[in-house]
Amino acid sequence: MNLSAISINHHSASVDLREALHLSEEEIAELVAKIKGNVFSEGLVISTCNRTEIYGFPVNDKLLLPDIQKILAEHKSVKNISAENFQTFHSFSAIEHLFRVATGIDSMLIGDNQIFKQVKDSFQLAEDLSFTGVISKRIFDAAIKTGKRAINETLISEGAVTVSYAAVQLIEKIFSNLSKKSALVIGAGETGEIAAKHLRDRGIGRLSITNRTIERAEKIGSSLNAKILPFSKFKEFIHDYDIIISATSAPELILSKTDIENAMKHRNYSAMVLMDIAVPRDIDPASKKIEYVFYHDIDSLNIIVEQNLAKRREEIPKVEKIITEELDALMNWYHSLEAGPTIKSLRDYFEAVRAEEISKNKNRFSDDDQEKLDIITKRIINKILHQPMVELKKLSDNDSGSNEMAARISILREIFGIDKTKNKEENKE
Amino acid sequence: MKGLIDFLNILLPILYITTFIFYYVDFMKGGKVVANSKRLLLFLTLIFHLFYLLFRTLFFEHPPITNVFEIFTVLAFAIGFSYFILELVTDIRGTGLFIIIISILFQLISSFFIQDLVQVKDVLKSNLLGIHVFSALLGYSAITISAVYGFLYLILYKEIKLNKFGLVFNRLPNLEVLEVLSFYSAVIGFILLTFAIIIGIIWLPKAFPNFSYLDPKLIGTSMVWILYGTGIASKVFGKWRGKKVVTLSIIGFVLAIASTMLTNFLAQSFHSFY
Repeated sequence: MNLSAISINHHSASVDLREALHLSEEEIAELVAKIKGNVFSEGLVISTCNRTEIYGFPVNDKLLLPDIQKILAEHKSVKNISAENFQTFHSFSAIEHLFRVATGIDSMLIGDNQIFKQVKDSFQLAEDLSFTGVISKRIFDAAIKTGKRAINETLISEGAVTVSYAAVQLIEKIFSNLSKKSALVIGAGETGEIAAKHLRDRGIGRLSITNRTIERAEKIGSSLNAKILPFSKFKEFIHDYDIIISATSAPELILSKTDIENAMKHRNYSAMVLMDIAVPRDIDPASKKIEYVFYHDIDSLNIIVEQNLAKRREEIPKVEKIITEELDALMNWYHSLEAGPTIKSLRDYFEAVRAEEISKNKNRFSDDDQEKLDIITKRIINKILHQPMVELKKLSDNDSGSNEMAARISILREIFGIDKTKNKEENKE
Repeated sequence: MKGLIDFLNILLPILYITTFIFYYVDFMKGGKVVANSKRLLLFLTLIFHLFYLLFRTLFFEHPPITNVFEIFTVLAFAIGFSYFILELVTDIRGTGLFIIIISILFQLISSFFIQDLVQVKDVLKSNLLGIHVFSALLGYSAITISAVYGFLYLILYKEIKLNKFGLVFNRLPNLEVLEVLSFYSAVIGFILLTFAIIIGIIWLPKAFPNFSYLDPKLIGTSMVWILYGTGIASKVFGKWRGKKVVTLSIIGFVLAIASTMLTNFLAQSFHSFY
């Protein structure tokens, strides 16, 4: 299989380069328009914040992978990039790499469940841009199946692996129903925003945000349906909240132990969770000594993250086994697209149909006619198959191993349902 | 039938221990096969236990509630059965081993010491006593479950406070659920025990005209009742919560069991039937 792929990712390039080569949907469409037919006959472009990858079947054998790297760099006007910043893959290793990406085991965060959706979206985009063909579609379907199996059959995507998600996981170990709880997020930076989003996703009952720059808080607040508290006054209201997540860039503590003690007295020592995910910390760590206060900082949340990552790493061999199984299945299918096996399968298929009909209608003919019936039906089959066989042999002589030949044979097999019949027989066995 | 009763008497602790092992393996390692098998095993154990109780009732011609060791086997069954229903209703599965171990303890003591009593004291042949024992047993199983969930609450509370995110953290339900389960079990237990006490008080002068209000059983029971009453009232009126309430539930359970043991084996009480 002459599939080729280039990938720039966290294994091979710095975040600056990865960011510089990131492609939006529009940019992917422009790039595909540029390379379709000239460079690749069919293919796929995946671009996430951590990787940009191009897969394709080259239109001619002279195409070298550095050429594709060059095309991508030029498309994004990125200089200072070298071949070492790319990983390159050929034939089945390219498919294996795609499967590893789809299952999340090649991700920076092992088992990242966002990548599966991103890969699926990329397939859809390739299809919308008419950049797919029989072979590539089959490969993409296999990649989706592999990704789904990894999620369903292993624990590769289980547990929180980011600090803000770990904070929510920990909160859910204290409170049973977040829809009856209230949360205050202090700091509307990236971390605070993600934490607020996680809380909203988990169905938090009441969400408030406070930030030194109120405009920023308002922007996030409106998208998350959160109340905005003025930063100068928020301390007066902390007793109203069951959960406080703090993620500011303040150089000093913004909530003292006394603040928390007063709040706890005010709320009659009803449990309060404090998640201090700021560096340096925002809340006095001595607050953890107060009864029913569950104080956790970034270090304690990192313990959860590390534990979950370790569990995910233990799942990698299981995912690799799934990848091997799916690769084998894909290879078997691909090898069946050669002319020789197809000629045999086609003959077997027609012979099976003939034999079945003969046996069904055997009693309608006398013993003397049985032999004649056999000869005549075989002759009919041979005549019907003669022209397709000649064409298949011609195809095999002229375009052996080409994508076009594989695609034609694939259509032929699909029309006669050869693979389906074969699978049924295998299942019966 | 006697042979079958003796066989089941030996088999039951083995069945409970096997069920416990399945719950333990599921708690430690997880896995679909063990998770599904453990519930089935508990169900089978309870079926065997039910037959054992029925056979005893038929063969000895009285329900197994006339001495403490008979009561212990009924208690083991009641605790196991209550948990089984709780697991089915709530689908909270990580706590079974902590409750089944209590069933094992009661069943082991019962299996070792139970005797075949054909003759029952006349004083125990009363319908009121039957209702008293039945409600008391259900009440005891409820406060046992309350104490276990209270204990688990304290463990999880400490683990979270100390940033220990191990098996207990991963497998147990959250703190609020543990607190709610402990509290509601205590409320159910308190209601049933109150009912048992009322029936007992009605029955007592009829059965023992010379009883004393300073009888150890009456003092012990009153203490347990006051303790639970105080805990429940404090929680309902919002004065106490979390640790305090569950600690009280655990103390109440220990006191209730100690009171039963003491009045039956050591102290001179009207309640010593064995």
